[in-house]
Formats: sequence, C-alpha cells, structure tokens
Amino acid sequence: MAHPIKLQIQFGGGAELLFDSIKSRTIELPAIDKYFPECQREKWTIKELLVWMKDNLLRERPELFLQGDSVRPGILVLVNDTDWELYDELSYELLEGDTIAFISTLHGG
Amino acid sequence: MDVIQRLEQEIAELKDTLQMKEQELVEIKQKFLQINENSTENTKVRIGGLPKWAIERYSRQILLPDIGVQGQGRLMAARVLIVGAGGLGCPASAYLAGAGVGEIGIIDYDEVDVTNIHRQILHRERDQNLSKAQSAANSLRSINSKIKITPYSIDINPSNGLEIAKNYDLILDCTDNVPTRYMLNDISVLTGIPLISGSALKMEGQLTIYGYRGKGGDEKEQTHIGPCYRCIFPRPPPPETVGSCSAQGVAGPIPGVIGVLQALEAIKLLVGHPHTQLLVQRMLLFDGGDSTFRTVKLRPRSPACEICSDEPTITKLLDYEVVCQSQAKEKDLDLHILQSENRISAKELAKSLNAKERHLLVDVRSEAEFNMCNIDGAVNYPLEKLREKQFEELMEKIRSCTSYVTFVCRRGNDSQLAAERVLDALVGPDRSRVRDLTGGLHAWARHVDIDFPVY
Ligand SMILES: [Zn+2]
Repeated sequence: MAHPIKLQIQFGGGAELLFDSIKSRTIELPAIDKYFPECQREKWTIKELLVWMKDNLLRERPELFLQGDSVRPGILVLVNDTDWELYDELSYELLEGDTIAFISTLHGG
Repeated sequence: MDVIQRLEQEIAELKDTLQMKEQELVEIKQKFLQINENSTENTKVRIGGLPKWAIERYSRQILLPDIGVQGQGRLMAARVLIVGAGGLGCPASAYLAGAGVGEIGIIDYDEVDVTNIHRQILHRERDQNLSKAQSAANSLRSINSKIKITPYSIDINPSNGLEIAKNYDLILDCTDNVPTRYMLNDISVLTGIPLISGSALKMEGQLTIYGYRGKGGDEKEQTHIGPCYRCIFPRPPPPETVGSCSAQGVAGPIPGVIGVLQALEAIKLLVGHPHTQLLVQRMLLFDGGDSTFRTVKLRPRSPACEICSDEPTITKLLDYEVVCQSQAKEKDLDLHILQSENRISAKELAKSLNAKERHLLVDVRSEAEFNMCNIDGAVNYPLEKLREKQFEELMEKIRSCTSYVTFVCRRGNDSQLAAERVLDALVGPDRSRVRDLTGGLHAWARHVDIDFPVY
C-alpha cells in the first residue's frame, strides 16, 4: 500500500537560488495515490518528485531548473551522493530517508 | 601633471626592458642547465637518477612514500598545460612549479586587471595590463628557475588547441566559460591526455578528472577509465543559467582551494598513483559557505558518449561558441535592442538631472551590486526579479508618475532588456518617457563622474 515518505533534498552550485536559497531541507511526500490519483505505482520516483517540487517549492522560472519532464542540462542529480545515472535516473524509486541532491555545475575560474 | 605622465612613461619603458632582460636570463639559464645536465660531472652526483640539487631542493616531498625519488623523477620529466592564468590557474601552476614539474605551459588571452588580484595570486599590482600568461610565467620563474615555462598569450581555439596540447602529458582546465570547457574535453579525448577540471564561483568549487586513461601495471594501458565531461553533460547548459565571477562574484580563497587541489591531483597522477586514489569517476564538491567538502560518485564512461565511446560521432574539434550558444570571452556582449529615442547618453542624463528634470532612475543590477555603488536617488529593481509582483509594482510606479523613467545597469545591456520589458507593457505617449543609460554605469564613470567605481 502506498504511504508517505520523508526525504532530504539538497541544492548546490547555485541551484538553491531557485528554492528560496535553502540548501538543504527535509520534505514529506504524501502517499503517491493521494497526490497523483491516477498513478498506478505504489512508490514515488524522481520523475514525480520533480513534479511535486515544481508544484510546491519552485517559486518562479521553472525553465531554469526543469526541461521537459527532467532537470535541465548542467544539473547533476545525486541519489545518496551517487550520480543518478547509476540509479535509473527518473525511474529511481525513492526510499524513506534518501538524500536527493541537485547540483548545478560551475564554470567560473 | 606632466611629471606624472613622464614617470608613467618611464615606468612603462623600464617594465619592457625588465621583461626583455628576464627573458634573456631565462634563455641563458636554460642553455646552461642543459649543458650542465649533460656533463659527466653532474651524472656523478646523481642519486637514484636525480642530481644533487634536485634531491636537496625537493627533499621535503621526496621524503614522502607517496612521491619518493622515482616520483620526483617523473615530475621532473612531466609536461603540464594549464589553460587559464586566473583564480584556478595561478595557485595550481604555483604548486606545480614548486614541485619541480619539468615543463609548464600556461595559456591566457587576457590581461591583468586590478579586479583579478584578490584571487589570481601570481599577478602583482605592477603587472596590470600585462598579459596574464606572461605575468604568470614571470612569477613562476621566480618560484623555480630550474624548470621550463612556456607562456601562450593567445586564445586557445579549435584551430590551435590540438597542436598546443600534443606537447603535454596533462591538461588542467582552469578556464571560466562553457565553450572552452567543452573544447578542452574534446582535446583531451582526441589526444588521450587526461584533463583535471576545476571550477569555482561565489562560495563553491568543484573538481574532477575527465578522460583518464590507464597507465599500464594494474591499469590496462591507454584504455578509458571513468567518464569524460560529455559522458556526464552531453548537452551544454542554457546560457542564461551560467554564472561568472565578474557578474556574481567569488571569494578569493575558493578558486585558491580548488586550484591547489588541482595541483595535488596532477602531482599524484604524474607520479603514478592508481586511478582509485584519484578523482576519477568522482567529483569533489567544496562549499566554502558552510566549510564542507564532499566527494560524490559519478557515472562511468558512457557507451553512448558522442566523443569518448567506441563509435564517436565527434571526431574533430567543433565551433564551441555555436554549440554552447555562448561566448568564451564574456566582455564582448554589446546589445542594441532599443530605438535611439529610448536611449540616453551619460552626458545627456547628467545634464537633464542637473536641470532638475525628474527621472525615475531604475537600477536593474543585483542588490549586492547596487549596495556597492549607485547613482544618487536610484531605486533598485534587479532584472532577475523583475517579474510578476515586482514588475507590477514598478509598472504602477511608472504609470502613476509623469517623469522620465531611466534604466541603469553596469554596461548597458540589462538596462535595455528591462526597458524593453516595460515598453512592451506600455502604450501611447508613456512609451516616450522610457529610456536606458547607454553604456551603463561604465559610461557614467567615464563621461560624468570619474569618482564612480568601475568594476
Ligand atoms: Zn565521454
């Protein structure tokens, strides 16, 4: 049965500017069928997390964070300090206590 | 005033002479060093392959099991190319010169500016307007006269990049822009030379090694180990999301930390540490704001990578400014958006303000910049926040007054964007009240108020 989960989400490299300049926060996601009534799955994936973040945290200019249903180029997504590419990217099923980080790459020197 | 001009002229001439003499000395020393190295006298005092002077000079690092005599020998035989003589390149090259890396090439097209000095530690006040590559080379030579330093006061680009790089064993990416970073990655993959990539902005820095190749022993020679830049970032970021040190600021020690760590990774790599001990397929994230370092695991080399996979679609260098839709040299931007009737020069604005004509002066720079310096009476509406509520608030102000509305920014680009946004929302005669300060506060400082800070 679907149930709510708690996560840590983190931002770095300037991505935090789109989220009230808060670099780290704990969030609680409701049971997924509460938030997406049509959703057949029982677990949240990063894909739905991004939608939830857009609805609940992203104040303005979503195009600076999102592109299509994923993050824009130049943002590295980390699942518990590991590149999300090693975790199925958008399809990764979130677990209670996971830390998901969104790090914008820097280019200055 | 004549005295000042004469002295400035004399100093400039003396600087040129000094530089010529230094160059002459370097060349003579290098010849002498070569003769000395080849003499039988010298080989007698070689210990474990190193001459006496080298054992003495580098003893503090030779003592480390991590380096040792063999490692020192490898450093002295190594050739490292440093791209960018700025906040990262200065500390990185200083430590590599100190460590006795045999040959250091340093590239930078730019000249030393006073705003560089808080972080670009090889440049001194007296080096202003000197080529950064030359200034860095001078400092590096004063650190270590036993090594070869090659300054390149040029723009590294797709037509010269491979040619320059192939004389080196390792490249350090110490640049400040996206197109050059993609180009250096492609140079690294095409030549098989590993790339140590550092970056820094505001209070944060990032560091990793791209395009690493096995070095024999436990690592199969020349095979790819770990990703390249394109494996992780196949698409460049949208230009509007990319920050720069000159626009957003940087604390001096931030690139200092990252540049020094680039040098450390370079030393370990050259000495022959295995990839498991290097930042290969790992990225170091440094946040100076809360004093944290973390190392995250990156994806491996991508089988679909456009350049480093077994079937690459990119086989030569590209036009990176086109690919990345942004410029390698940030200073060139010069927008012409507004019609001439919606623009006002610095002198005209000063005249109008002096004649007590009323202007709503809207400064669209960031709050931090506005707090640093501003024209008396200006109000601050940062362009990045000039949307929705903020924008409506400003429009209300504009509609309810009859004075001129003059937009101001640093160089006169953002002010046009802001004025355009406002013009689009206005109809009729109100439009004629809106203008932007041509050339921005730089022009204001040049033509009206010489005491106004130029940054
Ligand atoms: Zn690749």
